[in-house]
Amino acid sequence: MEGMQAGKTGTILRPGRRPLTFARLSFYAFFFLVTVAWVYIFWDGDSGFTDLFREQTWDNAGRFLGQMAGMDSDRRPAYLQPEQWWATSKLAYNTLAMSVLAIGIAGGGAFLTFMLAARNVTNGDLGNTPSPAGAVLFYALRVYYAFTRALPELVWAMLIVFFLSPGILPGAIALGLHNLGIVGRLTAEVVEDLDPAPARALRSSGAGLFQILLYGVLPQALPHFITYLLYRWEVVIRTTVVVGFVSAGGLGREFRLNLSYFHYDEVALILLWYLLLVIGVDFLSAWLRKLARFE
Amino acid sequence: MKPRRAILESPHLLTVLLIGAVAWSLATVNWSAPLVHTGGGKSALRFLLALFPPDLSPEFLLVCANAAWQTLAFALTGITVAVIIGFPLGVVASGALFSRESRIRVPVMLAVRFVLGAIRAIHELVWAVLFVAAIGLSPLAAIIALGLPYGGILGRIYAEFLEDVPEEPLVALQSAGASSLQVLVFGRLPMCLPDLVSYTFYRFECSVRAAAILSFVGIRGIGYEIQISLGDLLLGQVWTLLFVLLAIVALVDFWSGRVRHNLLTT
Repeated sequence: MEGMQAGKTGTILRPGRRPLTFARLSFYAFFFLVTVAWVYIFWDGDSGFTDLFREQTWDNAGRFLGQMAGMDSDRRPAYLQPEQWWATSKLAYNTLAMSVLAIGIAGGGAFLTFMLAARNVTNGDLGNTPSPAGAVLFYALRVYYAFTRALPELVWAMLIVFFLSPGILPGAIALGLHNLGIVGRLTAEVVEDLDPAPARALRSSGAGLFQILLYGVLPQALPHFITYLLYRWEVVIRTTVVVGFVSAGGLGREFRLNLSYFHYDEVALILLWYLLLVIGVDFLSAWLRKLARFE
Repeated sequence: MKPRRAILESPHLLTVLLIGAVAWSLATVNWSAPLVHTGGGKSALRFLLALFPPDLSPEFLLVCANAAWQTLAFALTGITVAVIIGFPLGVVASGALFSRESRIRVPVMLAVRFVLGAIRAIHELVWAVLFVAAIGLSPLAAIIALGLPYGGILGRIYAEFLEDVPEEPLVALQSAGASSLQVLVFGRLPMCLPDLVSYTFYRFECSVRAAAILSFVGIRGIGYEIQISLGDLLLGQVWTLLFVLLAIVALVDFWSGRVRHNLLTT
């Protein structure tokens, strides 16, 4: 008996050929693709790899850093002049406003739709009566989320400045649309995993769909929703600068202009503002997320 | 009954703050200036009408396929660089290499975490623009620009996964005489490998979108073609390219979703 058991364990532990699971196969496929991609990058003309060993490249890089630090001229670099900080503060203010507006747009859009994009709401798992309109709405919303999510913010911005005047608004809409898809899907998935008991209890005491959603679903989903929004805010503030390249709002535009005029010390100033915003938003978001844990 | 909370911890404060913030941001928009360009409405209409039909000529589809591959290639190489940066830094940041008593453990962990935070703070396109200004445009510069912030994210998440493994097997290894490195290689890593691989796949998904917009500094790919077609007002082509981008993002999304589901449930 004991011998048999030992033998059994032995077969389990014996290092043999491991089964080719889907994950393992995917891993090999991914590895293969990575190899092909690197070969492609190196074969398709000048990859820039040889530049890494050229002295001039590093000279240029060094000069660029020196100019950012403002060591190339006698005048004081922009980031040491209080009036320059003051002059660019308006741009930082606008950038912050753009990120908040973007989260407002994403949050508003997702808030109005996420419960209807949850399968358990539309198929009647919560005790409500399913309707064909609900099913159609479910798929329409999921496709809408997938579409807004799949296009990067910058592509949205390029499309939007095609007809909206430049400023904060087009950038905020571009950022808002992309994040609407992300937050909408994440929160809809949260709703699908919720405990259905409160909703069913409401239903059995005669609540309608609207009441079920308002009292049975929303209170459970809201903390997650706000947490996701705040996490996305941290990402959005990093992206505002990039969207500003195209939509001409806030720090992004100034960053681009200064780069093209070779005002590298002012580029450094804009980067400092950018880092301050990123760090500030990370802290704010962490604090607000703590508030969002309703107990 | 919970003790009375300070105002600073009240959920009502959150409501007020969130609504106030959005109201403030709305107020900063200059609503009196025209929001739509002159002729903007017409261009929007033209753009929508160009959807019927998008440009599906064989030559253009070939352009699209080429651009899609280029974008994928940058995403794949970018994520390689990210793993090369993120994995070692993540291991160091998790503190798993040092014994708990070691005096340099905490300072080293904090220093590496700071580096990870710093490279992560700057968006990949900002890195790319800076690289272009510093050393000129090359595919490798773009790949590194993509890999830096992604490496920062991967490093932080890897460190968290490595820290979160159950302690008992590690203690068992230690008491059998394993060194910190052996505990890492035979204890921590195997236990969180599915999580590490799964998260890397998720980030690969994001890197496809990121690679598409590297076009902004002149790197070829879908974003580049979109910019050119928009500039030439070939709106039918723009729609085709948008659908191609949508398709590869959806494909990678689906693949990575399946892989992650497989890894984390079995």
